[in-house]
Amino acid sequence: MQTNFTAEQLADPHVATSEKILRKCVHCGFCTATCPTYVTLGNELDSPRGRIYLIKDMLENGRPADAEVVTHIDRCLSCLSCTTTCPSGVDYMHLVDHARMHIEATYRRPFWNRLTRNILAAVLPYPGRFRLALKAAALGRPFAGVLKRFKPLEPFGAMLDLAPRSLPKASGDAGPGTHPAAGPRRGRVAILSGCAQPVLKPEINAATIRLLTRLGVEVVAPTGEVCCGSLVHHMGREEQALEAARRNVDVWLGEIEKGGLDAIIITASGCGTTIKDYGFMLRLDPAYADKAARVSALAKDITEYLTTLDLPQQEARGLTVAYHSACSMQHGQKITMAPKVLLKKAGFAVRDPAEGHLCCGSAGTYNILQPEISGKLKARKVRNIEATKPDIIATGNIGCITQIATGTAIPILHTVELIDWAYGGTKPAVLS
Amino acid sequence: MDQIGFLEPRPAVLSRRREIVADLLDLLPEGCLVHEPRELVPFETDAFVSYRRLPLAVALPETTAQVAAVLKYCHRYGVPVVPRGAGTSLSGGAIPQEDAVVVGLSKMARILEVDFANRTATVQAGVTNLAISDAVSADGYFYAPDPSSQLACTIGGNIGMNSGGAHCLKYGVTTNNLLGVKLVLIDGTIVELGGKALDAGGLDLLGVVCGGEGQLGIVTEATVRLIARPEGARPVLFGFDTSEAAGACVADVIGSGIIPVAIEFMDKPAIEICEAFAKAGYPMDVEALLIVEVEGSEAEMEAMLAGIIEIARRHGVKVVKESQSATEAALIWKGRKSAFGATGRIADYICMDGTVPLGQLPFVLRGTAEIVEKYGLRVANVFHAGDGNMHPLILFNANDPEDAARAEAAGNDILRLCVDAGGCLTGEHGVGIEKRDLMRHQYADVDLAQQMAVRAAFDPQWLLNPSKVFPLEGRPAA
Amino acid sequence: MTPVHEPLSEEAAARLVQVAALSRTPLAIRGGGTRSLAGVPEGAETLSTRGLAGIVAYNPAEMTMTARAGTPLEVVEAALAEKRQMLAFEPCDLRGALGSSGIPTIGGVFAANASGPRRFVAGAARDSLLGVRFVNGRGEVVKAGGRVMKNVTGLDLAKLLAGSHGALALMTEVTFRLLPVPETAATIVVSGLNDAEAAAAMATAVSMSVEVSGAAHLPESVRGRFAGGALPDGAATVLRLEGLAASVAVRSEKLTAAMARFGAVTRLDAETTGRLWREIRDVAPYADGTPRPLWRVSVAPTAGHQLVAALRLEAGVDAFYDWQGGLVWLRMEADPEAALLRRYVKAVGGGHATLLRARPEVLAATDTFEPQPDAVAALSARVKASFDPAGLFVSRIVG
Repeated sequence: MQTNFTAEQLADPHVATSEKILRKCVHCGFCTATCPTYVTLGNELDSPRGRIYLIKDMLENGRPADAEVVTHIDRCLSCLSCTTTCPSGVDYMHLVDHARMHIEATYRRPFWNRLTRNILAAVLPYPGRFRLALKAAALGRPFAGVLKRFKPLEPFGAMLDLAPRSLPKASGDAGPGTHPAAGPRRGRVAILSGCAQPVLKPEINAATIRLLTRLGVEVVAPTGEVCCGSLVHHMGREEQALEAARRNVDVWLGEIEKGGLDAIIITASGCGTTIKDYGFMLRLDPAYADKAARVSALAKDITEYLTTLDLPQQEARGLTVAYHSACSMQHGQKITMAPKVLLKKAGFAVRDPAEGHLCCGSAGTYNILQPEISGKLKARKVRNIEATKPDIIATGNIGCITQIATGTAIPILHTVELIDWAYGGTKPAVLS
Repeated sequence: MDQIGFLEPRPAVLSRRREIVADLLDLLPEGCLVHEPRELVPFETDAFVSYRRLPLAVALPETTAQVAAVLKYCHRYGVPVVPRGAGTSLSGGAIPQEDAVVVGLSKMARILEVDFANRTATVQAGVTNLAISDAVSADGYFYAPDPSSQLACTIGGNIGMNSGGAHCLKYGVTTNNLLGVKLVLIDGTIVELGGKALDAGGLDLLGVVCGGEGQLGIVTEATVRLIARPEGARPVLFGFDTSEAAGACVADVIGSGIIPVAIEFMDKPAIEICEAFAKAGYPMDVEALLIVEVEGSEAEMEAMLAGIIEIARRHGVKVVKESQSATEAALIWKGRKSAFGATGRIADYICMDGTVPLGQLPFVLRGTAEIVEKYGLRVANVFHAGDGNMHPLILFNANDPEDAARAEAAGNDILRLCVDAGGCLTGEHGVGIEKRDLMRHQYADVDLAQQMAVRAAFDPQWLLNPSKVFPLEGRPAA
Repeated sequence: MTPVHEPLSEEAAARLVQVAALSRTPLAIRGGGTRSLAGVPEGAETLSTRGLAGIVAYNPAEMTMTARAGTPLEVVEAALAEKRQMLAFEPCDLRGALGSSGIPTIGGVFAANASGPRRFVAGAARDSLLGVRFVNGRGEVVKAGGRVMKNVTGLDLAKLLAGSHGALALMTEVTFRLLPVPETAATIVVSGLNDAEAAAAMATAVSMSVEVSGAAHLPESVRGRFAGGALPDGAATVLRLEGLAASVAVRSEKLTAAMARFGAVTRLDAETTGRLWREIRDVAPYADGTPRPLWRVSVAPTAGHQLVAALRLEAGVDAFYDWQGGLVWLRMEADPEAALLRRYVKAVGGGHATLLRARPEVLAATDTFEPQPDAVAALSARVKASFDPAGLFVSRIVG
């Protein structure tokens, strides 16, 4: 559609990129139908087309963000369902990223909102701080109800609800270092240790390392790695995100120099989407643009990598698995078939829940910052999953695991835990 | 583009803006009225994005009673009302105006009842077209009219525009599949027209409400006909060396008494656009492509296909390709139905919707190419050939005002050509704002006067969607 | 006898209406006169389309025809038969049932929205009507719609005129769509079902992917009066299949297999099928030469038998069903029982009942058409006034 930017405005490379994105949108409205917030709220302002229009208006007029625009952009889950639907190829992801940067730069949030976001940004990306926070949460749990009664404090109530009752011990199996291949080596990969995941579910990476090394792949968990940056990236804190990206790029390039890497394995699809975008994020940094692009090209979701290993068909196990595709998996990385093919090969009966394109409401810190919408989406997701009457739910993202687990009694596991079990690994504890 | 005018906003309404907003806030639950100026911007247009007008406010009611309350209020104070479904109109049917309250049905999106024994579904107007089929497909049924925007467009909008779609060749358009509606008149009266009985009693008011483009009332609920899904369905691709050959083939197939479920046409530019998005495996070495869908039992599909292939051979068909799997069939349709949006990858476009008698297809295709060339523009053709419903997509650059004006002029010439060939301005998208000023090319003044008199019987003050359908000059005094 | 005008051209018709408007003379529009049982009201003159006859254009390749309103239906059908085409909606011929004379006209068919057994899948007359020319109550010649299959240019006035029973305007010319005549047809007969069982069987049949194009239930009381007594003993639930011979054969087998659980199944050949469905269409069993009240009732398909069962407790009725049970042909023993019937129509979920036949004085005293809720009636009256502001055209369908 038509845009109105001055040459001066277009000199800003971020604006120039957004203008190109906006030009592709024909305002057909297809995206509204598959947007989780639009189907929940029924207001075009809370749909991709509405947000695109709000962003366009804000950027064209070179206006600072205002409370209304922020409300609607904040409600976006960044699930990217719209980009799967969009026939015109509108790159909504980078448009909304730009809008979030613009908001962060031009808008002063109300005190409680600012505080919440500062705490999240200061805690979640750091496993040590996160672990401490979760222990504190155990003490705070009785206050969850009280907190939720006061609107600005609602996110704190949501945090307490989401915090697990007990924390697993940090797993020694997945710590930094090199995990050599059992038998002849057929490949070498790095694994992203992650930030929140090793605290909440260390068994995911442990299973990944067990499985890969058994299959003859050497796995390196490099030291010096930090959070991928997606958490702060989605808050519009671009400098903080880019700093994380640069550090990780350095670490992985170091590993490549040491012994070469076939892939950088990521077991949380939310992180995968961001790391695959490092090339774009650092495109304006001459020192890092090429290096970041190289890293992005190497980044692989664990299921993507496993399909290259040609695993044998296993006998049927008599277990039905509902596969929940994380948004970052299906919309962000467009990985739709690989996890299901792997599960079927591993001997599980796989079910696709209805409305699979809709987000479960987790979406990074969304379930903390937007607890009401998130809760509605969780209930809808759980209803659709439970309708398939599964024994197990499998998914590829820690956020979804945490979110869905609080809504159902059916055990939920990372896909790789089931694959590991099927190919000679240990049976996941929750199934015993 | 600014060649098409809107009604002058009523000063008496504009000056009362604050009061009107305050009153509407009282009538509606929290979160159901959009009125902050910046939040109104995304409602200034629909999928006919060339024209834009900010509304006074946007009401998003949750019940029929709330719709009635808003209309009653607007009627009392002479405030224009523009109904809106999903805002996917290609003719600007949902574009507001400065003194109008938009009434959006997006919060009324529940399926109320599915009655398989009577093969009906009753739904709220904001339910999307595809959601109806999705809700009944597990039981072997579907809702037949399938506009390409069916993923997003609402049944209320479909009724407003009497929407068609690819499969209407066999199953008819919205009006042929609509059994009843709950309609709110401009004065807030709620009436029910039709129902599960096939024939409605009295005058066929339902027949004129369908396609009324939101000028006669606001539909809040609809009862539609469900159809049992055929045993099988298979799209087959027929590639030709020229558009004319493909067009002539269509006329011959229909003339032979074979009526497939759908016959869709794409020319080379359209094929390239659709393939880029859907990767459906369309043949790329042909100038024109027909997607012909047959359905029924294996034997039936075979027999019908044999007949069509024989006719296609007579027209020098170059490629015949049957879909080999359900996935492939779905991709073929996904590509076709995304054609307009996918065009956005390469250019801005406006989409025409003229319908011509089948025998005129080759002539009008040639004429369209000549017109577009005359204006120095490009065109992609993708349309429902089986019923002569053409969709030339005129490609242009929206950031170049002269290019945009040329595109609009070319579109008007094409539509006049369609009418002159014995056809009409619009087959399924509606007149909206887009074709309003061409109405006199198709109708005499007396014809329009009769239509306007019927319109006034529903809405004497011309408050509902007032800038649309009928040329602004020559309207009766309200 | 009231005066009868038979204009020979559209212009003449328009002038006639203009003159009538000046003198405020009510006009009763008449096609073939096959349904004019109630007669013309006092002081009204008859405006006949008889002089406006002839096919204007027939384009078999585009499957459309344009004909003047007064063209006899048989002329239209003969022309179509030559090209193996037909009117999809199977217009009925009620002369036998109504004991009327006259020649059905194509305009009359559309004015009455007369539709036969295929209506529940292929639509009614209104669904086939593409365009129309008419003279409104101001004496203006107006055109609406066109000759293409898809047309949403402006308001769909053709729909309003279809089924308007002369209340809005004098139709002078109609353009309609056609369908090829199916290669062959067959009927599956399920015998011995009561009305409720038949409703269940028909619902099952139409839910299958076999494209049933006719679904009727002929209770034992009427069964013998169809197809020269060729139907097997017991009530007959009849299901029609049409299409290519190979396909009809396959679908017949599939449907037979599915219907076997309801009752004994037999199959009728194409010729008997043709005769049977014509008779269903034309309400043959009630072409009994009597003035006993005859109703045509349209309700939801599963409500038809409920309605009849309820009525039977309170009145002497005979009935058979078309449109999967949604069209009930009801013959009353004596009184039309309009109030009772209409109460029960509401009770089973709504619909409408039209009184087609009764003794003239009874007809005159009974609402022919279903009375409408006030708001709808008021709206209909305004719509009529938009065509006919002076209320020139008399018709019982709008008050």
